[in-house]
Amino acid sequence: MAMKKFLPILLTALLGLSACEKALFKSDQASSDPFVNFDYLWQEVDKKYSYFELKNLDWQQIRTKYRSRLSSSTTEEELFNVLGGMINELRDDHSNLNAPFNFSRYNLPLKSKPNFNWRTIEEHYLPNIWYTGAFAHDFLDSGRVGYIRYGSFLSNFSEAELNFVLNRYANTKGLILDLRSNGGGSVFNVMPILGRFVEAPVAAGYFITRNGPKHTDFGPRETYQITPTPGTRYNKKVMVLMDRGSYSATTLFALGTKALPNVVLVGDTTGGGGGLPNGGQLPNGWSYRFSVSQLLDLNGDNYAEEGVPPDIYATFDWSDLSKDEILERALLELK
Amino acid sequence: MQKFIFSSLLVLGLLPNQETLAAGPDPATDSAGARRRYFQSYVGSYQPVLRDYATSPLFYGGSGLSLGIGWLKCSSNQERSFLMQLSGAFTNARAPKSDFLEAPVSGYMIQLGMRHQRLWAINRLNTGPFKVKAGGAFYSDQNFRLNTALQNNAGGLENITNLMVSGQISMDLSRKSERTINLLVVKRTLRPVQRHLRLLVNVGVLNFNYRPGYSYTFESELTGKTVSLLWILSNYKWSMNGYRLHTELEYFRQASSGNAYSWSYVWDAAHVPGRFEAMQLASHQIKYTLYFRTRK
Repeated sequence: MAMKKFLPILLTALLGLSACEKALFKSDQASSDPFVNFDYLWQEVDKKYSYFELKNLDWQQIRTKYRSRLSSSTTEEELFNVLGGMINELRDDHSNLNAPFNFSRYNLPLKSKPNFNWRTIEEHYLPNIWYTGAFAHDFLDSGRVGYIRYGSFLSNFSEAELNFVLNRYANTKGLILDLRSNGGGSVFNVMPILGRFVEAPVAAGYFITRNGPKHTDFGPRETYQITPTPGTRYNKKVMVLMDRGSYSATTLFALGTKALPNVVLVGDTTGGGGGLPNGGQLPNGWSYRFSVSQLLDLNGDNYAEEGVPPDIYATFDWSDLSKDEILERALLELK
Repeated sequence: MQKFIFSSLLVLGLLPNQETLAAGPDPATDSAGARRRYFQSYVGSYQPVLRDYATSPLFYGGSGLSLGIGWLKCSSNQERSFLMQLSGAFTNARAPKSDFLEAPVSGYMIQLGMRHQRLWAINRLNTGPFKVKAGGAFYSDQNFRLNTALQNNAGGLENITNLMVSGQISMDLSRKSERTINLLVVKRTLRPVQRHLRLLVNVGVLNFNYRPGYSYTFESELTGKTVSLLWILSNYKWSMNGYRLHTELEYFRQASSGNAYSWSYVWDAAHVPGRFEAMQLASHQIKYTLYFRTRK
């Protein structure tokens, strides 16, 4: 008898508590409504994007401009164009909208002249290139200079591979590290290279990250520190080639070299991209990203977002593809 | 806040005094009321539902497996248990249907959990086959989540730790003597057996969580910290807020050898505001637990 009374009470209590889940949590916010998705993205950027001031962006005005293009009958394709257009106003290749049918990007490299032609290097400078992991390399200037091409910070490499490359050029009088058109990738690949050019930790700049709703709310400065990494060291002169296609992790690398007296930047200003992009998802399932931090130099200036200037300015002359003027300028510096 | 912590600790601290109210045999103990000790091990289904506002307004739900080991000590007066559990599930976002292509919205999560529970009988509330116990529990869960659609925020780590007050009502369903049943041509004798049904409810009193900072990602990998865990967690903050509820309905049956098994349904829900953006996590489990009686 007791069992008959007890069981229904237990089951009711249990079902009741399980149903509480829906009552306890806020309602499901999944939505394909264009206005809901627009407002969500706008607010996320407003709360966390890190370069409103540097880029002089009136985010409220941008909202008005793009929201007026929506209606309740806006299609997914139209919504993508509106949201992608809004996020491109940030003029930042770290700011993207990712729908399953398209990916929005500002495309900074197309906004300036290219300064790199791999065929020129292959055909006229390095006829017998060695490929070791992520690195293409060989001797230049009758064996007096080593040339190393690292095309993307997305390409991982091992300590042994980098040791091999640096050991091969240990007896040269200088190195040329070509990072032109290196669009960035993993910041984890920055330190393993920069750390080969130092013997003790060196402060190279700072990071600050958004920590509040105001566009000027940032947390305390964290030091960007170059620490020696294990393996073969190279203490002689290193010429690092850069151009506007050198973006994100490559810009971080470029700013790091400013603190290293034996490393010189040659070429054009980097493409920028000093902020670390975070990621998130809209109520309709599309994903997005944008920068939430600033990269500062040792003086506290945040220009790296728009590019780190070279120490020696040089440009590629596209009227003569048999010669790489930026490489030649670096070689001249090593004479 | 300090007053709240103090009073909550006081409540938890006073709970052992309930022991003085204890009396009466418990089906999970010997008839003499001596303490029984078990090694427990379970396998179960695990169905989490979660939403992390720091990265997405969408609920993620999925299915997986949960495993656990621990011990249980019980007598007519009190119960103590400790459990370590590992649960994992593949999850998918509950996103609206697309007119073109569906967004890739799958991920997975692993939860490493620890539970310590103490219960004391409250004699004045015991009537007939019903036994009431009250006490407290300490729960600590570490979640590891991965969702590549979130790019630099692909990894999710959070710790949810709670001091809870507990109430349990159990009903003795034991068969005290042999019973014969006649099913037309089949005659069967049912032996005496110890078994009970119990409902446990834990409610978080002190709810702690360890969650990412305002912007979730943080560039500390380049700040000279060489230990990965240090830079991953360098922007994380402890908070004390939110709530947690945990319920268990268990059918427990003891074999003549002294070992036992149980089937249980577990529901757990936590709302974790953190300092900036909330996370919500609920889970449903159906568990099969084996209890091996031990001497110590």
